Amino acid sequence: METETCIDSMDFKVQELLKEARLECSSLLTKLVDDTVSAIKSAIDKIPEGLQVTADWARGFVRDIGADKAEFKFKKPKSIEIGGSYSIGCIAKPDVNIDLLLRLPKECFHEKDYLNYRYHAKRCLYLCVIKKHLKSSSSIQKVEWSALQNEARKPVLVVYPAANLGEVPGLFIRIIPTATSLFDLSKLNMKRNNVRALNAGDDPQPTPIYNCSILEDMYLEEKSNFIKKTFSGWKELGEALILLKVWARLRSSIYVHDCLNGFLISIIVSYLVAKNKINRDMMPMGIFRATLKFIETHPLWKHGLYFPMSDQNVSSKGNEQLNSLTRFNLAFRISSVAYPELQDEVALTLRCLEKCRDGGCEEIFTTKIDNAAKYDYCIRLNLKGNSEVYSLGFCLDEECWRVYEQDVHSLLNQGLTDRAKFIRVIWRNTYSDFNVENGLSALDSEPLFVGISVSSVEKAFRVVDIGPNAEKKDEALMFRKFWGEKAELRRFQDGKIAESTVWESKQGTRHLILKRIIEFLLGRHLSLSKKDIVPVVDQLDFCLLHDGKDPVSHSAKLLGTFEELSKRLRSIEDVPLKISSVQPLDSAFRFTSVFPPEPHPLASKKVDVARLHNLTPFCVQSLEVMIQLEGSGNWPMDDVLIEKTKSVFLLKIAESLQDNWGITCTATEEDVDVFMDGYAFRLRILHERGLSLVNKEIGGDQMKRVSSADKMLFVRSQHASMINGLQFRYPIFGPVVRIAKRWLASHLFSACLAEEAAELLVAYLFLKPLPFNVPCSRITGFLRFLRLLAEHDWAFSPLVVDINGDLSQNDEKEIDDNFTQSRKAYEENTQNESKAMFLATAYDKASEAWTRCSPNPLELKRLAAYARSSASLLTKLILQNQTDSRGWECLLRTPLSLYDAVILLHGDRLPYPKRLLFTSELDQGIFLGGKGRHVAHGNASTCFHPFLLPSDMKGSSLEQLKTKLMVNFDPLRCFVGDVEKGFSNRLKLWYDSLGGDAIGLTWERSKKREREEEETDRKYPVDLLRNIGELGKGFVRDVYLLKAPRLSS
Amino acid sequence: MKKKTSKDKANAVCVAEAAQMTENLVATKQGKKKDKLSKKIRKSKEKINASVGIVDKPVDGNEVHLQEKFRKDRKKKSKGQLLETSKGANQDEVYEIPSGDDDCSKGMKKWLTDYHRSRPGLKVLQQTIDEFIIEHEAKLDQERKEKEARLTEGGWILVEHHKGRKKTTDTESGTTVGSVSQAAVEEKLAKKKSKEVFDFYRFQKREAQRSELMILQSKFEQDKKRIQQLRAARKFRPY
Repeated sequence: METETCIDSMDFKVQELLKEARLECSSLLTKLVDDTVSAIKSAIDKIPEGLQVTADWARGFVRDIGADKAEFKFKKPKSIEIGGSYSIGCIAKPDVNIDLLLRLPKECFHEKDYLNYRYHAKRCLYLCVIKKHLKSSSSIQKVEWSALQNEARKPVLVVYPAANLGEVPGLFIRIIPTATSLFDLSKLNMKRNNVRALNAGDDPQPTPIYNCSILEDMYLEEKSNFIKKTFSGWKELGEALILLKVWARLRSSIYVHDCLNGFLISIIVSYLVAKNKINRDMMPMGIFRATLKFIETHPLWKHGLYFPMSDQNVSSKGNEQLNSLTRFNLAFRISSVAYPELQDEVALTLRCLEKCRDGGCEEIFTTKIDNAAKYDYCIRLNLKGNSEVYSLGFCLDEECWRVYEQDVHSLLNQGLTDRAKFIRVIWRNTYSDFNVENGLSALDSEPLFVGISVSSVEKAFRVVDIGPNAEKKDEALMFRKFWGEKAELRRFQDGKIAESTVWESKQGTRHLILKRIIEFLLGRHLSLSKKDIVPVVDQLDFCLLHDGKDPVSHSAKLLGTFEELSKRLRSIEDVPLKISSVQPLDSAFRFTSVFPPEPHPLASKKVDVARLHNLTPFCVQSLEVMIQLEGSGNWPMDDVLIEKTKSVFLLKIAESLQDNWGITCTATEEDVDVFMDGYAFRLRILHERGLSLVNKEIGGDQMKRVSSADKMLFVRSQHASMINGLQFRYPIFGPVVRIAKRWLASHLFSACLAEEAAELLVAYLFLKPLPFNVPCSRITGFLRFLRLLAEHDWAFSPLVVDINGDLSQNDEKEIDDNFTQSRKAYEENTQNESKAMFLATAYDKASEAWTRCSPNPLELKRLAAYARSSASLLTKLILQNQTDSRGWECLLRTPLSLYDAVILLHGDRLPYPKRLLFTSELDQGIFLGGKGRHVAHGNASTCFHPFLLPSDMKGSSLEQLKTKLMVNFDPLRCFVGDVEKGFSNRLKLWYDSLGGDAIGLTWERSKKREREEEETDRKYPVDLLRNIGELGKGFVRDVYLLKAPRLSS
Repeated sequence: MKKKTSKDKANAVCVAEAAQMTENLVATKQGKKKDKLSKKIRKSKEKINASVGIVDKPVDGNEVHLQEKFRKDRKKKSKGQLLETSKGANQDEVYEIPSGDDDCSKGMKKWLTDYHRSRPGLKVLQQTIDEFIIEHEAKLDQERKEKEARLTEGGWILVEHHKGRKKTTDTESGTTVGSVSQAAVEEKLAKKKSKEVFDFYRFQKREAQRSELMILQSKFEQDKKRIQQLRAARKFRPY
C-alpha cells in the first residue's frame, strides 16, 4: 500500500517534470525550423558548383592540424537532413538545438584522404565555404563556429535564425558534416597508423583515436537513422530519454566531452532496446532505472559499445544494416578516467531512488551537481599562452589538450596515491567566438579544471607518505626522481628504512597538505608557476582567524581545564547535595564555536604577568557548563522558587571552590562564573523534577507551551552531546559549521537563526549527503550549506536531522504529524508565524527547541535569498577565473544599502575589536542618489576600553585587576536589548553578534498600532532614529536613514 | 531635560522650516525609485516589503494632509504624548550624540554600571536571595490561605486531593521513604500498553486498515497540493 502511493506521487512528479523539460513542437516552432533549414539549403544551392577551394580559406586551421594536402572543387552536399533529438521529438529544455546532418560529397575527397588530417582539413574548408554563403541569407542572424564534443579538429557551424521565438530563446541549428562511405573501413582499423608524423623512430604508431574521429563521421547518419527507427512511435522511451538527459545535464562532471552526451545516451537506450533489455511494457522511470543499471555494470570504456555486441551474432543474423556498424566503438570518447566517475554517479543516483524521501525525485532531477559542489578540492590551472601544451604539435593521434589532461591526471594520481578517490581533469577548449580560420593556438584561454574527491579526511590530512624500501634500488630511484628534493630517507618506528615525503604542518592547517603537494608536483613536472595554479582550499580561512591564528588550536587546553573543573566539582563535600554529573553546553567544547576563547592571563589563580600586555582584552567569554545534583525530595514545587534554590546552590558551590581551591568566582543573581586556568565557566543546574513538571503542563494545552529553564537546559545538553559525537565522526564538520556561523553573523542574521540550528543544518549535509558523497572540505561543505538553506522546500517539508541514525518509522511519522499540525495552524492563522523552518531531531521531534520563534517566514525568505546569491557567487569564485581575494571577502561583506536604516558602531568599543572583519562604511553612492541621510553621529565613550590600558595595570594590584575583568560583557547585546525594549513594535534589528560594527534596521508594521502611530512614524523617522542613537550613547558612531517607513493606505 | 524644553520652543518657531523638511522627505521618496542596487537581492527584498503590505500614497494630496497633521502633532506635543521631541531645530543637520560619560541613564555608562551593580559579591547575593525566598514563601502561603478562606466562606469544607506520591514522602520530615522515578513509571506504563492486543477482533483489523488508508489518502492529497505549489514556484525546472 505504502509503496503504491509513493510511486504514484513519484510518477506524478515525473510527469510534471517532463511537462517542464520537454519541448513541445508547436506549429510555430516547426515553421521556424523548416524555414531556416530551407534558407540554409537555398543558400548552399547558390554556391557555384566547382568552386576551387584551397587551404587559404582557413590557413591557420590547416597549418595547425598539420594536413599536407587540402584542395578540392566544391560540389553540393549529397543530402541535408535533420537528425538528432529534434527528429525524434525528444529535445530537453533549456538547450534547444537542432542537428542538421550534411553529407559530404564523395567527389571532393580522394581515396587516401583519411591520411594525415586531409579529411579534417577538407571538412573544415567545406564548412568555411558554406559559412561565407550563409552570412548573406536574410533569415539567418549569425553563424558561429563550435566543435563536435569539444574536439577542435572537427568544427561545426552554429546557425542562429533571425526570427526569435519566445518559447525557445536561444534556439540554434548545428550543421554537422557526415562522411558516409567516404573511405574504406578496413583502412581505419584501430591498429593502423594514419598520421605519418606520429612514429617512434621508424616504427609508425597506431592512431586509434584519430581513426575513430573519422569513423564517427562515417557512421553518424546510420546511427541517427537507427535511433529514429527505435524511438518512433514509442512515447515512454522518448520520455525516458528526456529524463536521462535532464539527469545527466545536472551532473557536470559526467556530461562533458570525455564522458556522456545526449547523442550517446540515445544510442545506449537504443542499444538496450535492441538487446531486449527494455520492452514496451516499461514506464519511463523503469526505462530510466534500467539504463542506469546498464551503465553501472557494463564497462563502457574497456569493452566499448559495439553494434551488435560480437561479430558472430551478426553473421548468423545476416542483418546488413547492423553489419555495417561493426567494429566501431560508439563510446570511444568515454575515457578510462571518466568511467569510474560515471559509475559512482550512477550508483549514487540508484541509491537516491531507494533511500530518499519521495523516491528521490528532487535529488535526481532538480539538484544541480556541478563541479564546485561535488569535488572537495577544486584547482584551476591557467595555461593561457603556455606553449608547452602544444610543443609536440596540436594534433597527433589525440589533440594536445586531451594529452595534457591525461598528463595532469596521471601526475596527480601518482602523487596523491590513496589520498584521492577521484581526480577529474577537464579542459574545455571551444568557446563561443572561437574562429577556426585563425588556427588553434587561442584555444587555451579557458582554465583547466581539476576536481578532487578525497577518499577520507584522515588520508588526505596524512603528514608522511611512505615510499619504497631503501633496499629496492630501482623503485627508490624512481621515487627520488618523482619527488626530487622532497624525498627523504627515513627510519620508521618499526625499524623500516624507506624513502618518504613529509608534509609537516601546524595543527589546523592540515587541510593545506593536499594543496602543497599539488603545487609542488605541478611546479616540478609541468613547470607551472604558483600564480598559474589556483587551488580553492583556504580562501575562506581568513574569516576564522583571530589575530592571525585559528583560535581552535587552544581547544585541547580548554577540554583539559574542563576535565579538571568537573573533577573538582564532583569532589565537593560541603554543599548539602553532591554533584552527580558535569556536562559541557557551550559550542566551544564541541569545536563548533567560531571563536572559542583563548585562555585569559587574568582569569586564573596564578596571574601570568609576562603575558599581560597592552592588548589583553578586558572581557572574558564565559562557557556554560551544566551540572546535576543528586536527587532530593526537598526541592520546592514552585517555578520561581526552584530557580532561586538553584542560585543558592550555585553560590554555595562557588564559595566552596573559592575556599578549597582558591578559585575566583563572580556571580549575579542568575549566573555564577568560575575562573579557572584562563577560562570562565558559567554553571547551570539541571533539576530533573522541573523537567517532568513541564511535561505535565504540556499534556493539557498544546498552545501554552512554556519551555522552562530546565527543559531548555535538557535539550541543550542533548544537542551538545550528539553534535560532539558527530564532530568526532566527521573531522571537517567543525570548520564547516564555523564558516557557516560566521557567514550568518556577517550578514546580520544573528537574531534570526540560533547557533544550534546552524549546527543541525550542517549536520544534515553530513548525515544525508545524497545525491553527493559526504563533503570532505570546508569550502564544499559551506557551499552545500548555502544551497541547502536556499533550496530546501521549507514551506512544505520538515528537515529531519537524524544524528545517531536511530529514528524509527514511528518517530518519522510523529515528526510528519507534528509538521502537518504546525503548518495547519499556520494556515488557519497566518498571524501565528512559528516554525517557518521545521528542524526535527531525535531529542526534539516538534521543532520546539531552536526555530520556534525565529526565523519567521519573512526572515527565512531573506535568509534564503542571501544564501542563494552567496552560493552563486561562491560557485563563480570556485569555477571561474578570478584570483583576487576581494571576491572572497564579498561573501562575508553584507550590502548595507538593503536596510531601511543603518547604525554603525565604534569598532574600538566592541569587546573584541579583532573579530571585526571589515570596518563598515556606508557607500557614498547611496547618498548621491538622494536616498539616504546621515541622521546622527555619536562620540565614543571613554569609560570602556576593550583592552587593558597601561594605566589600569600600574595603579592596581593583580587582585584588583582581576576584579576589573568583565565576564560576558557585550555592549551590542545591551544596546539591542534596550532598543527592542523601547521600539520592538516599530522596527526590527539585524545584527552580528560575533563582532560586527553594523546594525541594520527595518521598519516593522504591526497592524494593531498602525493607525495611531502611522503619523508619528512617518514624520519623525529621523527623531526616532536619534532616540535610538541616544540609547547607545558612547557606542553608536553613526546613524543613517535610507528609507523612511512608507504609508499604508 | 533642559535641552528638551529649549528645543521645544525652537520647534514652535520654526514650523515653516519643518514643513520644508517634510517636503524634502517627499522628494527623497521620489528619488528612491532610481536606486541601482544589485537586482537579485533587491527583488527578494521588495517581495518582503510587498508582503508586509506597504503602499505608497500619491504625492499630490500629501501636502495639505501633512500640514493638517502638523497641527495635530503640535497638540499632541503639548499633551506630552510624543515619545520625545525633535532634537535639533534643523533636521537636515547631523545630530551629535554626546559620549554620555556622565549620564548613567543611557548608553555605555549605563550598561557598565548595570554590570557592576549586578555583581555585589557572593555574600550579599546570598542574603538577597534568602530574603526573596522567605518573602516569596510567605506570599504563597498567604495566597493559599486566602484561597481556602474564599472557598470555605459559605460554610463549605474544602476537601483537597493531594497530588503525587503522598505515601512515599513523609510529610513531616520531607524525606523520601521509597520513591520510584518518573521515567521508570512512564516506561512501565508504556510497556503495559504495548502488551494490549489491537487486532484481536476482525472489526479492529478492518478499522485499522481503513484508518491507514485514510492517512495515505490524505498524504496523497497533500502531495498533490504541494506539487501544485511547487509548479507555481517553477520548482520543477531542472535548470
